[in-house]
Amino acid sequence: MNRKTLFVYLGTLLAMIALIPVGMVQADGHCEFADEAITIGALVPLSAPGSVEGGIAMQWAIEHAASGINADCGIQINGGNYRLEIVVGDSEGSPERGQAAVERLILEDNVDAVVGVYHSAVGLATMTMLDDNGIPTVFSEPWNDNVSANGIIEYEGKPPRIEDGIDHIFRISPASSMVGPVVVNWLLSLGVENVVLIAENTDYGQPAAADETARLEAAGVNVEKLDVELGTEDFVPILSRIQASPETPDAVRLLVTGETSLNLTQQMAELGIAPTGDTICVTNQYAFNSDTYWGTVPDGNYCAFNRVGIIPSLFNDLGTELNAAFEEAWGKLVPSYAMASYDAVHIIANAMEQAGSYSDAATIVAAIEATDLELSQGRYYFDYGSHNPDLPEGTPAFMWHQWPDPIVTVMQYFEQDQSALNAAVVYPEVYQTHGSSYIVPGTSP
Amino acid sequence: MAFFNRFESYIDKNIGRRRFGYIVLGLIILFFLWFPNDTSQSNYAKTVFISGFFYAIMSSSWALLAGIAGQFSFGHMAFMGIGAYVAGLIARDGIIFATLGIAISPESISAIGSIIIGTLIAGLVGLVIGWLLLRLRSAYLALFTIAFSELFRIMMLTEYDYTGGSNGLSLRPLLQITDVDAARQVEYYLMFALLIVCLLVMYWVANSPVGLFLRAMREDEDAASALGVNVVRYKILVFVFTSMIVGLAGAIFYSDVGSERIIPEQLEVLQMSLIIAYAVIGGMESLIGAAAGAFISRYLLEATREVVIALPLGLTLPDGSGAFVWETGAWRYALFGVIMVFTLRYMRNGLLYPIITWFSGRDLAMKETVSKRKSDDEYAELPEAEHE
Repeated sequence: MNRKTLFVYLGTLLAMIALIPVGMVQADGHCEFADEAITIGALVPLSAPGSVEGGIAMQWAIEHAASGINADCGIQINGGNYRLEIVVGDSEGSPERGQAAVERLILEDNVDAVVGVYHSAVGLATMTMLDDNGIPTVFSEPWNDNVSANGIIEYEGKPPRIEDGIDHIFRISPASSMVGPVVVNWLLSLGVENVVLIAENTDYGQPAAADETARLEAAGVNVEKLDVELGTEDFVPILSRIQASPETPDAVRLLVTGETSLNLTQQMAELGIAPTGDTICVTNQYAFNSDTYWGTVPDGNYCAFNRVGIIPSLFNDLGTELNAAFEEAWGKLVPSYAMASYDAVHIIANAMEQAGSYSDAATIVAAIEATDLELSQGRYYFDYGSHNPDLPEGTPAFMWHQWPDPIVTVMQYFEQDQSALNAAVVYPEVYQTHGSSYIVPGTSP
Repeated sequence: MAFFNRFESYIDKNIGRRRFGYIVLGLIILFFLWFPNDTSQSNYAKTVFISGFFYAIMSSSWALLAGIAGQFSFGHMAFMGIGAYVAGLIARDGIIFATLGIAISPESISAIGSIIIGTLIAGLVGLVIGWLLLRLRSAYLALFTIAFSELFRIMMLTEYDYTGGSNGLSLRPLLQITDVDAARQVEYYLMFALLIVCLLVMYWVANSPVGLFLRAMREDEDAASALGVNVVRYKILVFVFTSMIVGLAGAIFYSDVGSERIIPEQLEVLQMSLIIAYAVIGGMESLIGAAAGAFISRYLLEATREVVIALPLGLTLPDGSGAFVWETGAWRYALFGVIMVFTLRYMRNGLLYPIITWFSGRDLAMKETVSKRKSDDEYAELPEAEHE
């Protein structure tokens, strides 16, 4: 390289360094921001043993929400525009590391609010710390009933989490007890009499199986329960027991998660157990990821699955936009926990605007309780909180600071290689997309 | 280098390396004693230190088991879990041995009582496992302890009615201090004291005749046995001893001292491999090296959660900030893996080994523990200075 070429290279490089930041600053020039920024902590799992895939999707959604808010000149409080900054805390899916991450968010990063949380164990371990430090918090994925059930109410013999003062914890994901009954109610509406439940041997599969068995048996349905281990590849021995049974089951319901559920579904279809004209196949919500589903379960047409979160056919404009952005970034449908995380940021931002403060936790909590906001998953509101503290008899304790309307549906594929966007919603009736509560294999709705 | 040589000869002539080492160690202990009183530090920093002390106990006790006694076990986290889970279950449900007519209500058992029982049960299980392992060596021992560890984890996961499954088990808080700052201060000193006590006891064992027998067992079990070392007794002893140490540490740490609840995922092989990695980085054959390796690693893993690179010349990003912020997530563990590979390739006795050796003035680690044993011929060919 001669000296002239070297100067040209160096000159070009310096010009690029000088020009890029100028362009960057100008792009943001239409808003006059206040000096101080509002900081929201995003508590998500980004390393093992946590669910990294879930954590990354949640982080993306939270940052996407913040950049949208900032593009609209931030959070408007008392005439000032406040830039929203997101600080991420990696919970690692562990209560111990989650607690450390929350402490860091509160004490080092001085966050004004917290959103996120994927694992219930992390939610349960961090709630007291968030409450003690007066941090308004909107959880977007933990399902454990106790996350919202034990705020100021004695629940299952445990004393309330806070003895007096305000409860800062809200949840917009469903409680476990809101998800369980949906598939059972659907099966009962179809008049099933014999059901086989195949449940994974974990604290998801076993309690869910116990709950569904109790509900089905209470309605007079004969239930046979079979257990499997996660990670098993060959299910033929266990499926052979179903084949050897003198009575053909009306439905086979899988309470198995992840890839294992897809392997099991394919082997069940291959052996001609379900879906058939006689037997309904109900697989795991993992089937919603249609590319993965059809890649592993080519014989799985007409299988039904439950979906937690809003269904594509009900996406409003905001949901459609969010889904398009997510698909562009990650190449797949936006999961419910990403949508909830996106909405959680907007709920906090809206509450701060309504409260006229980003630091007065009491008024922000009051504003969250009074939320009435249409976001990507629908209309958000909270029936019970300090604004309405008396839960009527029969209302579950977890409805405290709980969004009452997370959508849980049963969907069904009815065409080979169909996208989940076009799959039929068959239950509940109010969300049905094809006018049918079950599509019999070999037919079209 | 010249400065270091002058410094070294000054220390050798005037103070002595070992004495200088004690002075430095004393200063480090003084720093840890002073640290919680530094008002500029938040409770978060103390939390990180508390976690560091816990992992220091875990790694140093594993170094005693694997580095000194040669029992390459993967069951350490499981024994820790046994201590924590038993303490939690006993504090919640009491003790019921219906067949023996024993029923003790949870109200009559204090948090300390439950921790002691958890520790004893961990030791008891260590006794059984130690006895089962008597005939197993090297890879078979590792495989057995992995299987035991996984078995225990799956039990905790599937017996969710009792253990809370993946939502975890909340232990009875050991301390009842309502003031958060005061509580964190006490938790800090408690965990630090536990680390010091554990290290002192482990050093006492390692430097006693028992330690000599353990080393002999590590070098050559058959030869040690032929020379009169009761291999059976010492193998069981070291398992019971280290199981009780980690059981105690787990029961205390998860009694709301370091964390509010324990989950089965904490017992995964991945977590166990971190304990081993800390010990390898610090120095497998040095208890204090393993402890320091664990503490420094935990601190760095915490400190690198977020990497901030300030932009020069007053430049700003589109959002107006003057720095790139990188949420490292799992990548910091990848970096940690690189350090581990480097350590194993170039500094097999740990990154801290040269420092510890310098202070002690002698070569502490047996080379063959972490590398191929030299044949007698190869050994004879080595220069005199490298003979141990």
